[in-house]
Amino acid sequence: MFLALREIRAARGRFLLMGLVVMLVAALVGIVSGFTTGLGNDTVSALRALPATHVAFAPGAKSDQFNRSLVDASTVARWRERPGVEAAPLGVTIARGTTDRGLEIDMAAFGVEPGTFPAPPVRRGTGLDAARPGLVVSGKLASDGVRVGDTVTVDRLGLKLPVTGVTDDLSYGHVPAVYLPLDAWRAIRFGVPGAATAPDRLPQDVSGVALRARPGADLAGADRALGTLSLPMSKVLEAAPGYKGERVTMTSIQVFLYLIAPLIVGAFFAVWTVQRAPELALLRAIGASRRRLLSYTVLQAALVVAAGTVAGGALALATGLLLGAAVPFSLPAGTLAGTLAAVALVGLAGTCLTLRRVTTPDPLTMLGAAR
Amino acid sequence: MSLSLSGVTVTRGHGRTRTAVLRDFTATFPAGKVTALVGPSGSGKSTLLAVAGALLRPDSGAVDLDGTDIARLGDGERARFRRERIGYMFQTGNLLGALTATEQLLAATHVAGAGTRRHRARAVAALEELGLGDRLRHRPDQLSGGERQRVALARALFLTPGLLLVDEPTAAVDRSQADAIAGLIGDRTRAHACVTVVATHDPAVVASADAVIDLDSAA
Repeated sequence: MFLALREIRAARGRFLLMGLVVMLVAALVGIVSGFTTGLGNDTVSALRALPATHVAFAPGAKSDQFNRSLVDASTVARWRERPGVEAAPLGVTIARGTTDRGLEIDMAAFGVEPGTFPAPPVRRGTGLDAARPGLVVSGKLASDGVRVGDTVTVDRLGLKLPVTGVTDDLSYGHVPAVYLPLDAWRAIRFGVPGAATAPDRLPQDVSGVALRARPGADLAGADRALGTLSLPMSKVLEAAPGYKGERVTMTSIQVFLYLIAPLIVGAFFAVWTVQRAPELALLRAIGASRRRLLSYTVLQAALVVAAGTVAGGALALATGLLLGAAVPFSLPAGTLAGTLAAVALVGLAGTCLTLRRVTTPDPLTMLGAAR
Repeated sequence: MSLSLSGVTVTRGHGRTRTAVLRDFTATFPAGKVTALVGPSGSGKSTLLAVAGALLRPDSGAVDLDGTDIARLGDGERARFRRERIGYMFQTGNLLGALTATEQLLAATHVAGAGTRRHRARAVAALEELGLGDRLRHRPDQLSGGERQRVALARALFLTPGLLLVDEPTAAVDRSQADAIAGLIGDRTRAHACVTVVATHDPAVVASADAVIDLDSAA
């Protein structure tokens, strides 16, 4: 500590510069992490909130299953008869609407059976009722100005749905989620503009079957028997439009930052080690052990990396606060802590690139004979 | 403390370029006395300091420091010997650029694992004794050549080593500073009763030494 702190004090300009670089890398990683989480939430938070273990789709749908898959009513009924599984129909489609106060909204419409497990809990107002049409909207729409008691008219169809409640800030494919009974959902999904089709004349299909499977439930056997494809929720998230591409993009950026960080820190300490090679040789000459040289170099690196990382985390948080709700940004404490710990670790790993040079100064260089 | 070298040979190079820097060198260095090593450049003065100071292992021969043949010790043991038993004063580059004069001395205790805080008063006293009382908070770049050498001498003696090895102490200072440093080395040697070996070209340092070994004639 004695030598480490005094060297930092004497070369504070260089260490400050290095700390700033670490801070900016940490802030960038934090901000990218915030966007990754925020975009992820914006894409699949409605699916994550679904209290299901699996969703069964039509087997022909290989991607974007919620849009492509159609499962008929008899298949839903047969899923409900399977042992060890709780099943409920689920419809998902994107629609637009306008409130009676003139507010235009985009909606990821989730058709659910009121009273079944996919029906959302409400924060305000009342939940869905099988006896009457209604709409439970995402908190995001409430933030945009939609209120309980408003009536939303679905564009082109003219279908009017009163807002009965508000649920959490859920969205799907960057569109705020709304929940409505299956009849209304089918009208949106299958209805033809200008043709008033009675609900019982519409196809009775849904996008998939939400499943709550108990351990040991034979889903593969059920799939074979019912002609469906059951996917676990981790795979179901990938069924959301754009989710996989976004994850790959953001994760790639993070991976590159994690590769760049140790190289930057390593390069700094490599130059720093070369610059003080004569002093390391002097310390070796007066008896400093390799371990002591190693520990004080690692301590210097740890102090710079820790200070830079913490400052970078603060900068990332401040950026998130400044951005507010303008962009999908979410940086929970756990995510931030994990991200910063990773930055600190890879930064220290970069220091390891220079450690061999730290421990091998030649004390003989201090003597005239070697000059 | 006693230091004796017997049959010490050090060679450099390989194959046809192999040459002996020291050949079968034998000498005993008394405690409380300054022994000056003289000889032209390349005669082996600094090499002898390196061997005596556990910085370099000879090809053959024994280096007996207080009953231990340090030529046979491993790397870690030789480092321990250097920090606990030997003080060094080099020609240049003696001081750590980041530290004040006081801290240069405390660095020696830090390297020895003895902590620093409780030695501060003693470090100040040691520097004051060498006339550096008004330079305690100065860094190397704020000191003259002579002052730097005096700080180096204070550090070399701070842990009261039995052996003080000095390499060309007056090479980078003017005549009056050189005389002062030569005098201080003699005074401190007698005060600490340590074995002092000085490699030098300076006639003033040679004149102030208690014994002289001419490596040119020894070779």
